[in-house]
Amino acid sequence: MRRPDWAPESIDIERPSVARMYDYYLGGSHNFAVDRAAAQALIAAIPEAPLMAQANRAFLRRTVRYLVGAGVRQFLDIGSGIPTVGNVHEIAQQAAPDARVAYVDVDPVAVAHSREILSGNDQAVVIQEDIRHPERILDHPDLRKLINFDQPVALMIVAVLHFIPDADQPAQIVKTLRGPLVPGSYLALSQASHEGRTDEEREQAIAIYERTDSPLAYRGRDEVAKFFHGFEMVEPGLVWVPEWHPDTPESVEGAERAVYIGGVGRLT
Amino acid sequence: MKSQHGGPLAGRVGYATFARAWAKAITGTSYMPVTQAELEAFLEGLTVRLVDALFAEPFSLRRGYQIGADLVAAHIASAEGLGRTIEVIDLRLLRDLGLSGDDMRDRMARVLGTVAIGYARALRDRTLDEQESIRRAALVAREQAEHALRESEARFRHQATHDPLTDLPNRTLFTERLDAVFGRQGTAGRRLGLCFVDLDGFKMVNDTLGHHVGDLLLVSVADRLRRALGTHLVARMGGDEFVILVEDTTCTDDVLKVADAALAAITEPSIVDGHELRVGASIGIVERPVEGTSPREVMRDADITLHWAKTAGKGRWALFDSARNQRELTRYALSAAMPAALDRGEFCLDYQPLVSLTNGALLGVEALVRWRHPQLGVLRPDHFIGLAEETGLIVRLGSWVLAEACRQARRWADVSPKAPFVSVNLAVRQVREPELVDEVTALLQEHSLPPDRLQLEITESAMMSTADESVGALRSLANLGVRVAIDDFGTGYSNLAYLSKLPVCELKVAGSFVEGLRAPAADPASLTDERILATLVSLAHTLDLTVTAEGVETANQADRLRAIGCDAAQGWHFGRPSHPSDVEALL
Repeated sequence: MRRPDWAPESIDIERPSVARMYDYYLGGSHNFAVDRAAAQALIAAIPEAPLMAQANRAFLRRTVRYLVGAGVRQFLDIGSGIPTVGNVHEIAQQAAPDARVAYVDVDPVAVAHSREILSGNDQAVVIQEDIRHPERILDHPDLRKLINFDQPVALMIVAVLHFIPDADQPAQIVKTLRGPLVPGSYLALSQASHEGRTDEEREQAIAIYERTDSPLAYRGRDEVAKFFHGFEMVEPGLVWVPEWHPDTPESVEGAERAVYIGGVGRLT
Repeated sequence: MKSQHGGPLAGRVGYATFARAWAKAITGTSYMPVTQAELEAFLEGLTVRLVDALFAEPFSLRRGYQIGADLVAAHIASAEGLGRTIEVIDLRLLRDLGLSGDDMRDRMARVLGTVAIGYARALRDRTLDEQESIRRAALVAREQAEHALRESEARFRHQATHDPLTDLPNRTLFTERLDAVFGRQGTAGRRLGLCFVDLDGFKMVNDTLGHHVGDLLLVSVADRLRRALGTHLVARMGGDEFVILVEDTTCTDDVLKVADAALAAITEPSIVDGHELRVGASIGIVERPVEGTSPREVMRDADITLHWAKTAGKGRWALFDSARNQRELTRYALSAAMPAALDRGEFCLDYQPLVSLTNGALLGVEALVRWRHPQLGVLRPDHFIGLAEETGLIVRLGSWVLAEACRQARRWADVSPKAPFVSVNLAVRQVREPELVDEVTALLQEHSLPPDRLQLEITESAMMSTADESVGALRSLANLGVRVAIDDFGTGYSNLAYLSKLPVCELKVAGSFVEGLRAPAADPASLTDERILATLVSLAHTLDLTVTAEGVETANQADRLRAIGCDAAQGWHFGRPSHPSDVEALL
């Protein structure tokens, strides 16, 4: 007898989780031995891996601050992972206490952890859903309760789409998520790119992520640009993430080694 | 900077320079959610505190510990972060701030020691806290997943064991529950009952009002059954079939009450989609001890009994009766075995004399078919002719009888010119066979048998139910010269008007009239039968028909028949059905 679609999946913490590996790169300890083993394997292949993650996390921080500055008060952060250090609600609510944040992640452990962190914060929720089902995300009652789609929303898809292969139609996913956004909303997006990497490094990274819950799908700048279809790019456009509104001129040094490319687009 | 530190005053510039160097040294060691400027400002504050700690009198461990802990709290939280911090402080702090003093090396070593201790403790606590929180999250997630799994399994199990339309238990669950009754310990002395329910005329509802209404009706019936029979398991087996399990009955009456309640619940009229519908049901009931039977047997018997209820006219229950079932099983077995038996030559013919009442001469013999069954012995026609008629084998069997009788008649004719005619019973189906005339013609030719050596007996009721074409066939046979007799006359409608038009030459009067002649002639009932017989004989003679009396068992009966002018007789008094050689001996 075949299990029906609605049967839940079991929790497998024997498999490396990309959310917890990312936490490890950032210097966190919200991870298990399997996660550390996989992360260390990647660091062995690409020693700057933690720096890349940090650069991407810093991109997230700068975009949130930028967006709060631009007047956005609602954030929909998809693929939020383990929202520990430098999470969206802390950055946004620090700058604008009325900011509301909805986190979405597919990893049940990350979601359980987020829920613990967010307990007591009635301006933030977390829902467990796969970005591959964008309509389910948008229809989720918890999300609908917090996010008012009549007002601008910042859609954050940061360091997620490289886990979505072309077969899952990531552009269509972004398009669906863009659907209910009103003008004045934003898309902040970054993803791992193969540009600036040697073939060998790329192959090694792909091999390591094959063992995790989310295999890698690298994309070039042209492909990532397509995700912004319908958005007007904010200066400086789609760049290596350290180059996006850097804090200091020095922090742009060696930006191409950051692997992540990203940018922010505005819906007009 | 205060002078008691023992060094020259250093400007803000020195602090900023050092903080910038510090920030640069630790950048990238872990993620810090601040801008570079914010980081430098934070480290500048720490630098002030470092200098305070360096010159504090008496030396305070706590200051250094706190600086280490604050670094970790600011997410400067890695081994590299600590190493680079110690390195940059040791290398540059005094120089950048222009500080000096006699025991500076000692002071610096102690401050660095306490910073490192405070840092390591804080990092360890933080690591442990984070590990604990992620473990807890994993635990929560797993519990939630397991809970969801249990819920989905329960849902899945419900789906797998219930009918989606009515939400009644389905065949799977019913089978499980029935099996459980048998699997339980201590079945000795326990009984169970089972009602197999089938709606009457449900197909009609479906066909006339549509499947939608049919489905709603099933839902309504299911609700009523559920309400009426609460404690007993009611399952939908599919279509309009339901089954009720009555566990631990004490007697048959227990299950009969359930069946009555079910019938009452089902026949309640219901409004379905605007139609007032009234539907009935038939129920097959089994009630018996658990020991000595099996789930399969119980189900089979209930199903059989349901058909009894249906054939008995529907809208009722029937209770399983093993004797009846045994009879039906035997009948079924016989019926199934008959075609092969015919092929194997297990059938044979006995012949019973038809004797003239005028002169005692042997006029004819009636061929009577026998089945020499390998297990059951010799079976008489009343055991199998009805079955053969049901299955249609009667046509083939009848043909065989006809052919065998003709063959035998030829043999007797060869032995004696006074050989008797053979009288063969024809079934309705045979009379209706279009080939009958050709078949008889061919047999007569094959055996060079004079047509009047063959008599075909057809029962009165068969004759009456026979279509005009069949009458035509009989007429053709009569025209050939074959004798046609009406068998069992007097038991049907005895349609006299019809009788005159039929191509018949003889009436065989049913044994029931002759039976009456056994009593003394003075008996009024006996006298009545005699008068009826006399009238029949007189009538037959008027129509130019001869009369043969069947079932004559005594000389007295024979005498009285002779007295009223009956032409011929058949019965034990004149000879039992016997082997063809016995007939030959009479010739």
